[in-house]
Amino acid sequence: MARVYVSSVINGRSDRVWARVRDFNGLPSWHPGIAESRIENSEPADKIGCVRDFRLRNGDRIREKLLGLSDFDLFCTYAILESPMGVENYVATLRLTPITDGDRTFAEWTAEFDCAPEREAELVASIGNGVFQGGFDALKRQFGGESR
Amino acid sequence: MIRIVRSTVIDAPTDQVWAVLRDFNGFDRWHPAVARSAIERGQGSDQLGCVRRLVLRDGSEVRERLLTLSNLEQTFSYCLLETPIPLFNYVAHVRLAPVTDGDRTFWEWRGSFSTRKGEEAEMTRLVGEDIFEAGFAAVRARLAATSGLEGRA
Repeated sequence: MARVYVSSVINGRSDRVWARVRDFNGLPSWHPGIAESRIENSEPADKIGCVRDFRLRNGDRIREKLLGLSDFDLFCTYAILESPMGVENYVATLRLTPITDGDRTFAEWTAEFDCAPEREAELVASIGNGVFQGGFDALKRQFGGESR
Repeated sequence: MIRIVRSTVIDAPTDQVWAVLRDFNGFDRWHPAVARSAIERGQGSDQLGCVRRLVLRDGSEVRERLLTLSNLEQTFSYCLLETPIPLFNYVAHVRLAPVTDGDRTFWEWRGSFSTRKGEEAEMTRLVGEDIFEAGFAAVRARLAATSGLEGRA
C-alpha cells in the first residue's frame, strides 16, 4: 500500500477555505489541473456516494466517488473508480484544521492506494507534488501570500 | 464544560518540536509558567500514568497525570489531579503534525474543564493565553535561538 501525505498552510480562515473546496463538483474553480467536472445522474454534489466525472487539462478522465463529507470536521474523503493512472483501492482525504494563531488554515491531503511496485515512487511524487501540492499552491495564491 | 483550542505553526521540523515537548518532566525547561518539575515515585516520564509535580512561578503546585503518549502520532494527553485554582476535570491534548510545505510543524493544544460559576472568563483566559499561547511562544523562541546558534557555528 502506497501512501501520500502533503500538508500546507493557507492564509485564510478555515471556513472560507472550506467554502472553496467543499464542493465535490468544484475542482475546476480552484484546482489548476482540472478543466471540467460534472456529477453523474444529476445528483447533488454533497450527496454521499455521488460520482464526479472530471477531465484534467492534459485530457485524462477520472471518475471518483464521494465517501465522506463533514462540514463540522472539515474533511472530504473519496475513492477513484476509474482513471488512467494505474492505481487500485485509491482512497484520499482532504482535511482542514483551523490555525487559531493568525486565523489561518492547516490543510492536509492524504491518499492510500495499490499499484505496480516499480511505479510507486513515480505515482507518489506525481500525486503528492503535482495534484496535492499543486492544489495547495493554487489556494495559497487565491487566499493571498502567507505572512511569515 | 469549557473547551479551548489553540493552534500555531512553528518554523522547525516536527522532530525538533517533539524532542522539546515529549518529555513530560521537561516543561520547566521551556514553559515560562513552570519553575520546577519532578515525576513522583521515581517513574520514567514516558511511563503512562506517571504523575508530575509542577511548582509554578507563582509558587503554587499542581499534579498532573500522563494519560497517553505516542511517538508515532506525536501526541500526548494529561489531566490535572490537584491544583489550587478552580480547574475541574481538566484534560488536555497536544498534537503535532508535519507541514510538508516548508518542513514546519502544526501544533494544536486542546483543553476541556469545568470551573466555578463566575470564573469561566478568567479560567478560559488563563488556559488559552497563559498556558497554551505562552507555551507556543516559548518553544518558538527556544527553537529560533537554537537554529541561530547552529547558523553561526
